[in-house]
Amino acid sequence: MDNNHISELLPAYLDKALDNEQQHVVEQHLESCSICTATLAALRKLNLAFENESEISPSTQLRANFFEQIALEKENNSKVVNLDSVTKRSKHNWINNMLKIAASIVLLVGVYFFGRQQESQRSDNQIAILNTEKAAFKQAAMLSLMENKSASRRIQGVNYMQEFDQPDTAIVAALTDRMLYDENTNVRAAAVEVLANFTSSEQVKNTFIEALKVEKDPGIQIAIIQTLGRIQEKKAAKPMQKLLDQEETQPFVKEQIESVLTTII
Amino acid sequence: MENLTDEILMLKVANGNLDLLKILFDRHHKHVFNFIYKMCSDRMLSEDITQEVFYKLMKYRTSYNNGKFVSWLFTIARNSLNTHFRRVSTHDEDLDTVAYKLEDESAEKKDYSDLHHAINKLETSDRELVILNRFHEIKYEDLAEIVGSTPGAVKTKVSRALNKLRTIYFQNSY
Repeated sequence: MDNNHISELLPAYLDKALDNEQQHVVEQHLESCSICTATLAALRKLNLAFENESEISPSTQLRANFFEQIALEKENNSKVVNLDSVTKRSKHNWINNMLKIAASIVLLVGVYFFGRQQESQRSDNQIAILNTEKAAFKQAAMLSLMENKSASRRIQGVNYMQEFDQPDTAIVAALTDRMLYDENTNVRAAAVEVLANFTSSEQVKNTFIEALKVEKDPGIQIAIIQTLGRIQEKKAAKPMQKLLDQEETQPFVKEQIESVLTTII
Repeated sequence: MENLTDEILMLKVANGNLDLLKILFDRHHKHVFNFIYKMCSDRMLSEDITQEVFYKLMKYRTSYNNGKFVSWLFTIARNSLNTHFRRVSTHDEDLDTVAYKLEDESAEKKDYSDLHHAINKLETSDRELVILNRFHEIKYEDLAEIVGSTPGAVKTKVSRALNKLRTIYFQNSY
C-alpha cells in the first residue's frame, strides 16, 4: 500500500511538479525501494517514448477546406458587415452633412454681410455721386434762373443761393453780376441781401464797394452801406465819402453814410 | 499579427477579423488532428472531426470567453469527439461495413507505434488525459478546465493513468 502511494507520485516527481515535502518523501523512499526505482526508470522510458512519438500530418485538403469555409463565412457575414458599415457610414454622413450645413450657413451669412458691405459702400458712392450731380444740377438750374428774362424768376434764383454755405466762384460771380448790373431794382436788392451772407469772402467785400460806386437806387444804397458798416470795411470809407459829397445823393442816404462812417473810422 | 498570442488573435476573430483564423489554424490544427487521431485511430475521421472543430471555432467565435485559447480549442475538440462516439455507439452498423472497417484498421495498425497500441488500451477518460498532458504539454490547470475538474484531481488522475499505461506498455514490449 505504501509503495502504491509512492508510484502515484512518481509521474509528478519526474515532471518536478511535487511540493518540497512530497519530493523529500519520494527521494527518501527511492533510496530504500528498488521496485519504485524500477518503476521510475520505466516511467522515464515511457516519457522518452512520448517524446519520440512522431506526429502525423493531416492531408493538405483539410487546410484548403477550412480556408474555403472561412471565405464562405466572410461572404455570408459581409452582408451583415455591409449593413453595419452602411449604418456607420450613414452616421458618419450625418455628422458630415451637419458640417456641410454649418459651413453653408457660415458661407451664406459671410457672403450676405460681405455683399451688404459692398452694397452699402457702392450705394454710399452712388449717393455721393448723386449728391454731387444734384448739387451741380441745382447750381446750373439756379444760375440759369438768374439769367431768366422774368425778374421774379431771377429773384427766385438769387434767393436759392442762400442754401449754399460755401458758394463757389461761379455762384458768387452770378450774384455779383445781378447786384451790379441787373436792370430790375428788386433783383439787385435780393442779390445784395444774399451776398450780405458771404461777406467773409474778400471778393464779395470788393463787390460791395464796387456796387456802392454804381448803385443809384437809394434803398439799395442804404442796404449796401449797412452791410459794409456791419463788417467794418475800412476800404469802403473812401467811396462813402465820395457818395456823401455828391449832390444827387438822397439826404437820408447821406444821413446813413454819416452814421456808418463814424463807426468805421 | 504572426507574433500575437492565441488569445489576442481569437479576440480579433471574435470581433470579425475572420482571416486571423488562418493563423490559429496553422498553429494548432496539427495538435488537434493528432489528439483526435490518438483517440479514435482513424485518419479520415480525424480529419473530418478536426475540420469540424475549426468550423465550430469560427461559428461560435463570439462565445469565446477570453480564457486560455488552447483550453477552449481542446474543449471543442473533446466535445466533437464525444458527440461522434455517442452517435456511432447508438448507430447500428451493418456487418459489411464492420468487416470492411476491421480489415482497414488492421492494415493501418501496422503503422501504429507500440505507444499508440498501449494508449489504445486505456479507458477513454484516461486516454484523453494522457494524450493531452503528454503529447500536447497541457498543464494541469488547463487540463482541469478542459475536462471540467480541479487541477489537483487531474494531477492524480494523470499519474494513475500513466502508471496504467506504463504497465500496459512494458507488458507488451518486453
